Amino acid sequence: MVKIIAKNISKYFKKRNGYVIALDDVSLTVESGARFGILGPSGAGKTTFMRIIAGLEVPTKGELYFDDKLVASNNKIIVPPEDRKIGMVFQTWALYPNLTAFDNIAFPLTNMKLSKEEIRKRVEEIAKILDIGHVLDHYPRELSGGQQQRVALARALVKNPSLLLLDEPFSNLDARMRDSARALVKDVQEKLGVTLIIVSHDPADIFSIADNVGVLVKGKLVQVGRPEDVYNNPVTIEVANLIGEINELEGKVTKEGVIVGNLKFPLDKSYKSERVIVGIRPEDVKFTKDLINDENWILVGKGVVKVIGYQGGMFRITVTPLEGSEDEEIVTYMDHPLKRKEEVLIYVKKGSVKIFET
Amino acid sequence: MRPVIRATLHYLALVVISAIWLIPVYAMLINGFKSNLAVLSTPVLVPPTSFSLSAYHIVFNALERPLLNSLIVVIPTALISTFLGAMGAYFFYTLTYSFSKFLSSLSDFLFSLITLATFIPYQATLIPLTRLVVSMGLLDNYLGIMFAMLIFYIPTGALLMSMFISVVPRSIIEAAKLDGAGDLKIFMKLILPLSLPGFISTLIFIIIEAWNNFFIPLVLVTTPGMRLIPVAVESYTGGYGTIYNETFAAAVIASIIPLAIFIFLGRYFIRGLIALGGGGKGV
Amino acid sequence: MKKSAIILVIPTMAFTIILLYLVIWNAVVSFMNWSLLNPKPYFVGLQTYLSVMKQFQFVNSLVHSLELSATLVVVGNVLGILFASLLYFLSSNKVRSVFLSIIIYPLAISMAVDALIWLWLYNIDIGIDWVLVKIGLPKFPWLSSTSTMFPSLILVTIWAYSGLATLFYLAGFMNIDKTIIEAAKLDGAGSFKILRKILLPNSLNSFIISTALLFLFSFRIFSLPYILSGGPTNIFLQTLVVYMYYLFTVEFFSQATAVATIVTLIASIVILPYALVIIRRWIRR
Repeated sequence: MVKIIAKNISKYFKKRNGYVIALDDVSLTVESGARFGILGPSGAGKTTFMRIIAGLEVPTKGELYFDDKLVASNNKIIVPPEDRKIGMVFQTWALYPNLTAFDNIAFPLTNMKLSKEEIRKRVEEIAKILDIGHVLDHYPRELSGGQQQRVALARALVKNPSLLLLDEPFSNLDARMRDSARALVKDVQEKLGVTLIIVSHDPADIFSIADNVGVLVKGKLVQVGRPEDVYNNPVTIEVANLIGEINELEGKVTKEGVIVGNLKFPLDKSYKSERVIVGIRPEDVKFTKDLINDENWILVGKGVVKVIGYQGGMFRITVTPLEGSEDEEIVTYMDHPLKRKEEVLIYVKKGSVKIFET
Repeated sequence: MRPVIRATLHYLALVVISAIWLIPVYAMLINGFKSNLAVLSTPVLVPPTSFSLSAYHIVFNALERPLLNSLIVVIPTALISTFLGAMGAYFFYTLTYSFSKFLSSLSDFLFSLITLATFIPYQATLIPLTRLVVSMGLLDNYLGIMFAMLIFYIPTGALLMSMFISVVPRSIIEAAKLDGAGDLKIFMKLILPLSLPGFISTLIFIIIEAWNNFFIPLVLVTTPGMRLIPVAVESYTGGYGTIYNETFAAAVIASIIPLAIFIFLGRYFIRGLIALGGGGKGV
Repeated sequence: MKKSAIILVIPTMAFTIILLYLVIWNAVVSFMNWSLLNPKPYFVGLQTYLSVMKQFQFVNSLVHSLELSATLVVVGNVLGILFASLLYFLSSNKVRSVFLSIIIYPLAISMAVDALIWLWLYNIDIGIDWVLVKIGLPKFPWLSSTSTMFPSLILVTIWAYSGLATLFYLAGFMNIDKTIIEAAKLDGAGSFKILRKILLPNSLNSFIISTALLFLFSFRIFSLPYILSGGPTNIFLQTLVVYMYYLFTVEFFSQATAVATIVTLIASIVILPYALVIIRRWIRR
C-alpha cells in the first residue's frame, strides 16, 4: 500500500489564447491504506488531478511522491503509469470491447509473465469476490451496467495494485444500483487494504466510501477533512453546496442577528462585513403551525409556503419569508404536506446556522 | 407542385443522371460480347444480337499474365501498406496526445509529410524514383514496383488509419497502459481489432488505387512479360479500323477486380474515400 | 512515450523519408544543367527554370492543367451539390445508396480503362455521335478536332470525379442534425428552402474537402491524356505531368526535374494547409 504526497501541484493547459489553469498549487497527502475522496464540480480539475496521480498527465509544476519515491515533477514523468502499480476504474469503465470479461480481467496479468494457471486462478478469485464468476465468458456489450462496472473493478484489482483510483465510477450506473456498488467497493477495499482515491461530484459517493475528502473548486484545494466535518463546517458556501443540499439566504448583519426580510437568525460571533450569506441545511429547518417548546429549536420568524414537491417519500416544502424578501427560499423535507400560501413558523436547529462572509 | 409529380420528377432526374453515368459501363459490358462481324456493322451503343466470347478468348490469353502480375504486386502491397501504415497511425495517435510541445510539433511535421506523400502527383518523382529503383537492381522486378508503390501507399495507409484509429476511445488505451501493456501489444490486441472495419476500408481503398495505378508500372517495367494490367490494356487503344470488341473485353478484364470489390464491399471503399477527406459521421 | 512505440512508426517514416528524398533530389537537380548532352552536370541556378518557363509547351501544359483543375473543381462542386441534394431528399436509404454507388463507381475504375472506353464513345462514326445523328442532332467532333479535344478530356474527368464531391456533400448533409430538418419541414419549408437555408450554409467543410481533393486528383491525371493521345507528345492534351514525362523520354532531365518541382510546389500549396487544418482537426477532435 502506498502513501501519496502531492506537493504544490499545478497544471496548465494550453488554449488558443493563453493558458487555462486546471490545478492551482494543490498540496495533499493520502495516507497508506486510506480512502480519500476528491469532491468538486465538473471542470474543477479533479479528473486532471487523478490523471496526474495515474501518470496519464504530467504536472506543469510541483512534485508527486508515492511513499518517498518521486514519480513526477515539473513537467516530467519520472515513473511511467505502468510502473506505478495503479488500478484505475474509468468513468466510462474503458473495458476492452473485443475481449471477454475473463480476458479483460486477465489483461493486466498477461503483461506480468505469469503462468496460464496462475492467471486463471487470480481472475477467478477476484471474480468470485465481485460476484461476476458466471459472466466471465461474456463480452462487455452483453453485460449489464452493474456487471460491467464490476468487471472494470476486477480488472483494476486483479494485479494487486498499491493504489486504486476511481474516476466517477458510479455515474454511469442506475441510481438504484449505486448504493450496493458503493458498498461493494468499500468492502473490497477493506478486504484488500489498498489505498483508494475516488473522484466524484456526488457527495453520496464520498460519504459512503471516503474517510477523508478534499474539495476542489476552480483548481484550488479549498478544504480537506473528514466528510462530516466538511459537511458541518464548510469553509465557503460553495463547499457547503457541493457536499450537500443547503439553503442560501442573503442577509444583513445587525446587533440582534442576521436579518433576512422578516426573519432573524442568531449570531454566534461578530462579522466584519455587513452582507453575509446564511447557510442552513434542510434537516436543520422545521416549519410548524404551532409554537415548539424545545430549546434546541430557535424560532426565526414567519414564512409562507410557496412550493410543495414530493421526493423520496418526503414532501419537499419551500417557504419564503412573510415580508421583505420574497426571492429568498428555505427548503426542508417533511413527512406530511402543507398547504400552499399557508403561513408557518420557521424554526432552525440551535448551532446549525452557518454564516459566510462574502 | 403536387407531391406525386415532385416525387416523379425527383426520381426521373436521378434515373437520367444514372443512365448517363452508366453509359461507359454499359458499353463495356455489351461490346465485349460482340463478334468481329457484329463490330463492323453495329455502333458502340447498340447491344449485340448474338453472343460471342471470341473477343474475351483472345484478350484473356494476352492479359492473363498481366492480370497475374497485378495480383502478385497489388495484394501484398496493399496488405503491407495498410498494416505498416496502421502501426504508424497508432504512433501518431499517441503523439498527438503527448505532453511535450516538441513532440506535438514533430507530429504535425510528420503528419504533413504523410499527407504530402498521399496526395503528391507521384509522377513528379519519376526521375529520382526510376534511378533509385534501377540502382537497387529492381527494374522489371515485382519488388521494384512494390517498393515504389509502398513509398506512396504506406503513408496513405497511415493517413487513413489515423482517421479510423482516432475513434478508438482514448480511455481504453490509457487503461491498457496502466495495465502495463506495451505499445506493440496495445496495437496488436486492441487497436487492430477495434479498428478492423477501418483496416478493411483502408486495405480496399489501397487495393483499388494500386490496381488502377498506371504510371508506376509504366515507368518501372520495360519487358512485356512484367507488365501490370493497366499498362497492358494500353495496347487495345485501337483507332479507326481496329476491332473494338477486344478493347471493351480488355477494359472488362482490367476492371473486373476493382469493380467486383466495389459492388460487394463498396461501403468500405466509400468509408476509405470519406476518411481521405478528413472523416465524417460514423467513419 | 516509451521507446518501443517508435519502432511502430519506423516503416512509415522510412518510406516517407524516401519520398522526401525524391522530392529534394528533384529540387536539387533542377538547379543543374543535366541532360543527355550534358553528362557532367553542374549548378546553374535558376537558368533551367527560366528556360523551361519560356517554352511554349510548358506554358501550354500549365494552362491545360490549370484549366482542367479549375473546370473540374467548379463543375464537380456544382454537380456534387446537385447530386447530393437529389440523394439527400430520398426517403429510402437503400435507394440512396444504389444511386450513390452509380455516381461513385467511376472512382473504382482505372483512368487507363476510362480512356479506352471513352476513345470509342468519342468515335465520330459509331460512338455517341451515332446517337446524336439518329435523333437528328449535328455531330460533335470530340477528339477529332483540336479545339474540342481538351474539353472532351475534361468531360471524362467530370464523369470520373463528380462522385467524390457528391460523396462529401452528402456526408456533410447527413451530419446535420435530422431534427433541425424535421422542424423546418413542420414549419412548412420546402426542399429548396431547406437546401438553401440549412444544408448549404453548413457545407463549408464539404466544399473545402471537395475542392482540395478534386484539385489534387485532377492535377495528377496522367493516363487519360496519355492514352487518349497515344503517348506524351500531343500538345493539345498535354498537362504538366504529361509534359514532364515527355521531357524525361527525350532525356531533358534537368528540365523534367524543374517541371516536377513546380508540380510538387503547386500541389503542396493545397496539400500542406489541408493536412494541418482539416485532417489534423479531425484526428485531434
